[in-house]
Amino acid sequence: MDFILFHLKKLFTILKNEVFVLPSRVVVGLFVLFLILFPVIFKDPYWMRILILTSIFAIFAASWDLLSGFTGQMNFGHALFFGVGAYGAAFLNLHAHIPPWGSIPLGALVAVLAGLIIGIPCLRLRGTYLALTTLAFPIILMGLVFAFPDLTGGELGISGIDRLADARIANYYIAVVVMLGLGTIMWKITDSNIGIIFHAIREDEVAVRAAGINTTRYKLLAFCLSGFFAGIAGGLYAHFMRIAGPSTLEVSMSFGVVIWAIFGGIASIYGPIGGVFVLNILLEFLRFWEDYRMLMFAGVVLLTLLFMPDGLFPWLRDKIEKECPRCKIRNIAWRDTCRVCTAPLD
Amino acid sequence: MKKLNVLCSIVLVSFLVVTISVPAWGARIKIGVIGPMKYVQGKGHWNGAKMARDEINAKGGIKVGDEMMKIKLVKADSNEILNVTDAANAMERLITRSKVDFVIGGFRTEAVLAMQDIAMENKMIFIGVGAATNELCDRVGRDYDTYKYWFRGSPFNSSLLAKTAFVQVGTVAAILQKNLNIPKIKIAVVGEKAMWVEGMIRACKVFLPKMGMEVVGIWRPSPVATDVTAELSAIQRSGAHIIFTIFSSSVGIPFARQAGELKIPAVLTGINVEAQKDGFWEATQGMGNYLMTMNTYARGVESNELTKAFVDGYVAKYGETPTYTSDTYSAIVNTLAPVIEEAGTLDADKIVAILENRVYKSTSGTIKYMKDAKGNHLHELTWGPGYLTSLAVQWQDGELKAFWPNNWVAAKGAPPITYKGMVPYKIPPWMIEKYKK
Amino acid sequence: MNLVIDIVISGLISGSVYALLAIGFSLIFGVARIVNIAHTAFYMVAAYCIYYVSLKMGLHPVWGMLLAIVLVSLLGMLCYQLFINPIREHEGAVLIATIALAIAFQEIVSIKFTGTYLSVPSLIKGYFTILGVKVFYQQLLTFCAAVLVMAVLWVFLMRTRLGLAIRSTAQDREVANLMGINEARVAMFVMGISVGLAAFAGAVVVPLTVLEPHMWMPPLIMMMAVVVLGGLGSLKGSFTGAYIMGFAQALVVFLAPMGAYLKGSVALSIMIVVLLIRPEGLFGVAFEEER
Repeated sequence: MDFILFHLKKLFTILKNEVFVLPSRVVVGLFVLFLILFPVIFKDPYWMRILILTSIFAIFAASWDLLSGFTGQMNFGHALFFGVGAYGAAFLNLHAHIPPWGSIPLGALVAVLAGLIIGIPCLRLRGTYLALTTLAFPIILMGLVFAFPDLTGGELGISGIDRLADARIANYYIAVVVMLGLGTIMWKITDSNIGIIFHAIREDEVAVRAAGINTTRYKLLAFCLSGFFAGIAGGLYAHFMRIAGPSTLEVSMSFGVVIWAIFGGIASIYGPIGGVFVLNILLEFLRFWEDYRMLMFAGVVLLTLLFMPDGLFPWLRDKIEKECPRCKIRNIAWRDTCRVCTAPLD
Repeated sequence: MKKLNVLCSIVLVSFLVVTISVPAWGARIKIGVIGPMKYVQGKGHWNGAKMARDEINAKGGIKVGDEMMKIKLVKADSNEILNVTDAANAMERLITRSKVDFVIGGFRTEAVLAMQDIAMENKMIFIGVGAATNELCDRVGRDYDTYKYWFRGSPFNSSLLAKTAFVQVGTVAAILQKNLNIPKIKIAVVGEKAMWVEGMIRACKVFLPKMGMEVVGIWRPSPVATDVTAELSAIQRSGAHIIFTIFSSSVGIPFARQAGELKIPAVLTGINVEAQKDGFWEATQGMGNYLMTMNTYARGVESNELTKAFVDGYVAKYGETPTYTSDTYSAIVNTLAPVIEEAGTLDADKIVAILENRVYKSTSGTIKYMKDAKGNHLHELTWGPGYLTSLAVQWQDGELKAFWPNNWVAAKGAPPITYKGMVPYKIPPWMIEKYKK
Repeated sequence: MNLVIDIVISGLISGSVYALLAIGFSLIFGVARIVNIAHTAFYMVAAYCIYYVSLKMGLHPVWGMLLAIVLVSLLGMLCYQLFINPIREHEGAVLIATIALAIAFQEIVSIKFTGTYLSVPSLIKGYFTILGVKVFYQQLLTFCAAVLVMAVLWVFLMRTRLGLAIRSTAQDREVANLMGINEARVAMFVMGISVGLAAFAGAVVVPLTVLEPHMWMPPLIMMMAVVVLGGLGSLKGSFTGAYIMGFAQALVVFLAPMGAYLKGSVALSIMIVVLLIRPEGLFGVAFEEER
């Protein structure tokens, strides 16, 4: 009894001091709550489907941000990891009869391998060269997929793979929980020492090298981590759609993830996740005007960029929060003094 | 700025409310038509369905048990040519939100495989009008209880398409040999890089030599290639008399146009889906003359007594010849309507039980559903004289004319088949010039 | 021997197509450091413009070409001023702004002309035979146009004041500003020239291809590969890279007809191999990280 009370009290204290003090964290908390409670309140299988796909793409977008936002290695071919993860999971499921909870991580490991394969040649490339070269990889892989149609199923892809779970609602919870879990892990990575080094590599690689850090190792680590998470997203997608096809390797998939991530706010894990949710759900709402749907989507992106070029969520966050000039802790915007060091906020 | 944001959110929320609410309609049969609506194939789906709906509703509707129910069509743009996820979402939306009773349509194989799964999960009858892959019906044979709600409406499957294509190309080869005195026909095979073509390429390597022709080369351009002059150069150098094309995608247009412009001394035969459309002539700037392709309909041609009314009505209503995706008309008028009336109910299981054993006429032939070697239902279209054979058409000076089946003897001792409206095949003048000695 | 001639001619022709597109792309990148993903989308708009003028209005294609070039250049400059200039400093935002522009153009074209495949009549119809290979007059026109454009651009950049301004802005934006060159206006002009080149490429190449709303994607990838191979910011590099890629594709089609669809993949692989050896591309300048 005391044990439970103690932990409840502790939870309450944490909530009061860490979460409720900042509106952005409250929003995140509400968002998580909404996602978890959605099927209980709404029970609409179609919207659950949309949210499942959005969650999968959110993992995908966050993984891109881990690589390109943080380390600055602009990756225009992120669909490669997605596709390799999807095909890997499908293969293992169909031919080795490994169930989804096994084939998805193993498929993601194959994607990590792909990450190494493309990371190593890309080490010497900088900036735009890197971006345009990475674009080439999924296209080459697509060519290979078509070259061996007996193995890969050509443009039909690999079909007839197991579902994640039988009920739509189980699928939903799996997708959402995995998304939240992986998002938290990615967030923790960026908050750690490794994350600081990634950030530093983007800002000034020469300086990081001068500080004695082996940037090659960290860049490869970024590729591999990013590949792993994107591979999981790919595997989830394959098992949900029950088909892994070359559409997972398309250029539009690569471009899509870049749009979601930059729209949501680069170099912050919550930015791409939020960006995917906003844009995908917006795309669904725009169905009332089927013909002009994509045009309005492009218009929304263009207009948002004009006003919020750093991304939607950083802009929103700056509107409701202020950073203390002395201790750099974030405070609610309408406070006069910092909640930690009581320095005046202006 | 803030007020604008609030206004925008109010507008968005009200649209959301409007789109979520499902209007209640009264006694109607809802048929979902799903396809790439911005493209010709989807337009064919929708036009065929509209024609069927107008015809049936004009007669009062379909008799279901005791009441007459009219048809209501629900259009769903699958966008499948670009995005398979969109297609699957569209199918799900059609079934769970629009709550249709039947679904017809589909075109791109990868998308139809995904859409089929969703329909089967929901025990929804799905008549495929567009995708040819064998796998769609093989699934019915393997797992009847899950997939029994799928029926193929059009075209017949890839293996049978190959068989027909060989018969048709053999006919052209015979005409060339007879008129131009060519001792051995050399044939170049050009197939777009797509799954449905793989099996045909393998079959080409086996059957074409058996038919007495020499295969001088196999080219595999991308389905969306726009410049095929390199391939055409190589084909010309190989000395081929016939080019056997296997195209369903946009490459069919530049290939025909460039082959015509370069006056390649070989006739174009085979399957070229783009060439089945009226817009082909303009798209190739008239250079696609004398091209032959397999087709389902042509003006003035009657496969059976139902064809004329359909083709003429379609041309009158929409100004163009129907293609195989317009078989949504037949799917409603000849497949669904009579079976619903016979069953007296919209219950899917009862309809499936009646439909799968039914032998009936459609606008392009007679439909009988195949079973596999073990006797399992496949819900696959039967091919052959007396059932479905398709046509071989040729572009002759801006018009699509049919020249096969014309005195076609399908097997030894079988009676020759000729459909009404056949014209002779025309050999391009530059071929005659080059080869006639 | 015939095979070699085939490959050479085919390579020259497809190389010219890529060269026309790559030169424009390289120009705007060199000057304003903008990766204009909408470059081929402008090419597509020009193509549809020509279609509209020649088929719907019944005028001779030449008028269509001129109108297309003028209209598209103006459109390019307008888009630059409205959408790109305000966010010049944010590289990531510029990138997706150009992607969004390309999608917007694609949708507008799709709404107006639908997804049906269309085509445009050739400027000069017919073909001629050279060394046993049949070549369209239109393809010869493409080849001559590529060489002509390169020459004219060379003269323009080397001998005129505006060309000098462009070259100096490409070399170092801030110092050019200090020297009194209105860097923003130069960028706008270069955008117009670059897009105009894309429109010109459209005018010349379009009779050889099929029009549909997604026609901007395949050339985009090859064009970016060409530019990367030749070295970003180097016009000479883009020109050379274009012909190398053209020949690579021709080799694939002629030596491996069963693998003709792989010509794109093979060309891209060659680009990657070259970059492994020389990370700045063939003629690229390894520029300092700008702070």
